[in-house]
Amino acid sequence: MSETSAPHRRLSARFKTGLGIVANYGTIIGLLGMMLAFSIVSPKAFPTINNFVNVLNQASLAMIIAAGLTVAVAVGELDLSIGFAASLHGILVTGLIVSNQLPISIAILIVMVVGAGIGFINGLIVTKVHVNSVIATLGTGTILTGLAFAYSAGVPIVAGVPDAFLSISLGRWLLGIPNNIVIMVVVVGGLWLLVERTSIGQEIQAVGGNPSAARLAGISVDRIKILGFVVSGVCAAITGILLASRLGSGTASAGDSYLLTAFAAVFLGSATLRDGEFHILGTLIGALIIAFGFNGLSIFGAPTFSQYVLQGTILIVAVGLSSLGRTIAES
Amino acid sequence: MNTDVPVVPAGEAGSRQGRLPPLLEVADITKSYGGVQALKGVSLSIAAGEIHGLVGANGAGKSTLIRILAGLTQPDSGRIRIKGEPVSIPTPQRATDFGMSFIHQELAFVPSMTVLQNIMLGLPKKTRFGMVDWRSIARDVAPVTARVGVTAPLDANVKGLSTAENWLINICRALMRNARLIVMDEPTASLAAGESEKLFGIIQDLARSGVSILYVSHRLDEILRICHRVTAFRDGRSVAALSADSLTRHDLVDAIVGHAVQPVMKSSVAVGRGDIVLSVEGLSRFPRVKGVSFDLRRGEVLGIGGLVGAGRSELARLLFGADRTDGGQMTLAGQPFAPKDPAAAVKAGLGLVPEERRSDGLVLTKSVAFNLQLSNLKAIQRNPVLPFIDYRRRASLSQTMVRDLAIKTADIDTPVGRLSGGNQQKVVIGRWLLRLPKVLILDEPTRGVDIEARGEIHRLMRVLAERGMAVIVISSEPDELPDLCDRVLVMVEGRLVRELEGPSLSRAAIIEASYAEKLSSEDRALV
Repeated sequence: MSETSAPHRRLSARFKTGLGIVANYGTIIGLLGMMLAFSIVSPKAFPTINNFVNVLNQASLAMIIAAGLTVAVAVGELDLSIGFAASLHGILVTGLIVSNQLPISIAILIVMVVGAGIGFINGLIVTKVHVNSVIATLGTGTILTGLAFAYSAGVPIVAGVPDAFLSISLGRWLLGIPNNIVIMVVVVGGLWLLVERTSIGQEIQAVGGNPSAARLAGISVDRIKILGFVVSGVCAAITGILLASRLGSGTASAGDSYLLTAFAAVFLGSATLRDGEFHILGTLIGALIIAFGFNGLSIFGAPTFSQYVLQGTILIVAVGLSSLGRTIAES
Repeated sequence: MNTDVPVVPAGEAGSRQGRLPPLLEVADITKSYGGVQALKGVSLSIAAGEIHGLVGANGAGKSTLIRILAGLTQPDSGRIRIKGEPVSIPTPQRATDFGMSFIHQELAFVPSMTVLQNIMLGLPKKTRFGMVDWRSIARDVAPVTARVGVTAPLDANVKGLSTAENWLINICRALMRNARLIVMDEPTASLAAGESEKLFGIIQDLARSGVSILYVSHRLDEILRICHRVTAFRDGRSVAALSADSLTRHDLVDAIVGHAVQPVMKSSVAVGRGDIVLSVEGLSRFPRVKGVSFDLRRGEVLGIGGLVGAGRSELARLLFGADRTDGGQMTLAGQPFAPKDPAAAVKAGLGLVPEERRSDGLVLTKSVAFNLQLSNLKAIQRNPVLPFIDYRRRASLSQTMVRDLAIKTADIDTPVGRLSGGNQQKVVIGRWLLRLPKVLILDEPTRGVDIEARGEIHRLMRVLAERGMAVIVISSEPDELPDLCDRVLVMVEGRLVRELEGPSLSRAAIIEASYAEKLSSEDRALV
């Protein structure tokens, strides 16, 4: 034990406290600083209620899928299948409505069950067959992409999407709050309650914190891990459905980019408030940083490629901050 | 040369070499880790061509000395001489340069490489036109493997080979490095009888050719058989350097145990014997646990003693469903009991305080309250169906436990990783007190725990037993069990060899049984 802590002993206490603050509050400071900077540079376009609602509306889909991913990551596994799954779900839900003439509610229900099933299968592969989750979900994700192309024959389903389906994502609720935001608040709030306020949440945190100790404390580690994948799968389905509704079509690769956004949000979030731990609130803040960052870039008319550069940079910085937080927590 | 080595006089084997100084000589080595003094002054000398035995109970300091010789850690004081020259061994590379080779129980191999590649690992290799000339290397290595008796072909993968074969390959590796001293740590621990015989032959052959062997083992019969001289360590001191000629098993045990054995004062008077809670019949998981049978009663503290590696922790894991069994049955409170995982064992009424509390017992970054409630989450739910946690109940239960066990912590929200070892251990124990299992198993509960907490943990175990719990406590420290336990079972190499109770239960009896006579050869052949 003395060996492992040796390198950190060299850090002075004050430096460590400083690092701890950066690691814990850096993301929030960064978010506020960025918003302030955009407000100063672009006082007419950026700091308006309209723009903020717009950003939140846009970010809701990413927040839902990222919150789901948070649960999978919190049990100590990675789920790389979510982006591809969201694409498939988008195609599936439009297909079921347009080609199979199913009622919208039934189609949505089926897709959510499929999402849960994909998560369940991911969980079984990881816990029972002992395949590393990165490989397992990369594999299932690739299969899902194949299925998406097979189901749509490579052609986006555009024609005949009923308005009722489009209005799920495009509609507004009380006080003109977009439906997406309402759905996001319900889903993310529910997941926050699950992880932070229930005994299952305690088990999730224990399995993620130390699977060996959790097992010997009598927790069914495999069941909790499978649950993490199922939550992640269902959230990918919700995002896929909302995406199809927003785009008015099902496209075989529409949801793929959510994978990177979700990971960036989750790891940014783990560097927020709690030393390198994955939690829903942090993920929400992470997703906001990404959303406002993109928004600022587009207000300034920055070219599209800069979004990729920003997102990649954020992911690396986020993981760096998160592991820094964990190092400090352990020392 | 030897006048400044007070404890170890030059032995016969040393003088056999004439006026030459011993190959290796260590004198008055001390070493402490944190506040714990692992070595309080050990001395040892080994002549060229000598097979030197090193014995001592767990924690006597054998491993620390080996680590120092291997250049893995530095002594606080003391002298090391090689062929009379004072040296220091700052790195493992230096140890190799001095001609020392170390073979451990966990053999270091690259499993995907061949026998030849493993033997040559880290050695400069002959090349031809810039390419490694494996054919020529094989010609050099072949006589060495033939001499040591490696039967596997040089181009075979080491993955499929037996432990015995791996030992021989390691010896070849040492010889290819021109080792003059080979340190072997428990060489026969996982060898069958015939394989051990073969190894002894090779060791004696090496010694005749001038290579020295430091033979570290708990198996006293082997020590007596093959060693020229024996050094015994006790509590970080070398207490005896004995010539093997006239040595008996009894002498060795005496040296290991020490003569100042205090008569044990039993604390509990009468043993309140309740019904049988747990009955174990022929429980096995080869090769570590072999046909273990015992009964455990309500209100009893049952100790399981023995040396490290005797299979005690493995037995605990079997009882707790953490590993699969190869055979045997259990009954818990009259019902057949075959837990498929720890969750099932906990449900049935077992609790385990694992040996490695930091890696297996606690979620270190989480709070004291979090860790206390981990096995009893149902009890802090607001209602049995909806899993929402009643935080007030959680806090009051946790605070009560912190107070009852005198856990020293700022508050219940402090990360448990910040607590001292003893207080961390109390958190793991407290977790089970909140659940009150029928049977509580504690594996090395006081290791790394300060004296005060140790006493508290001991008292706690007695109190739990008096309230009707059945307690199993595993300890490598023979000192710990006699006062604490109503009954002690001693394990040797995966078997229960002795049951000690009442007047027969003493520190010396536990140690003596731990070094019990070797099992019959039929038993060994089963392994």
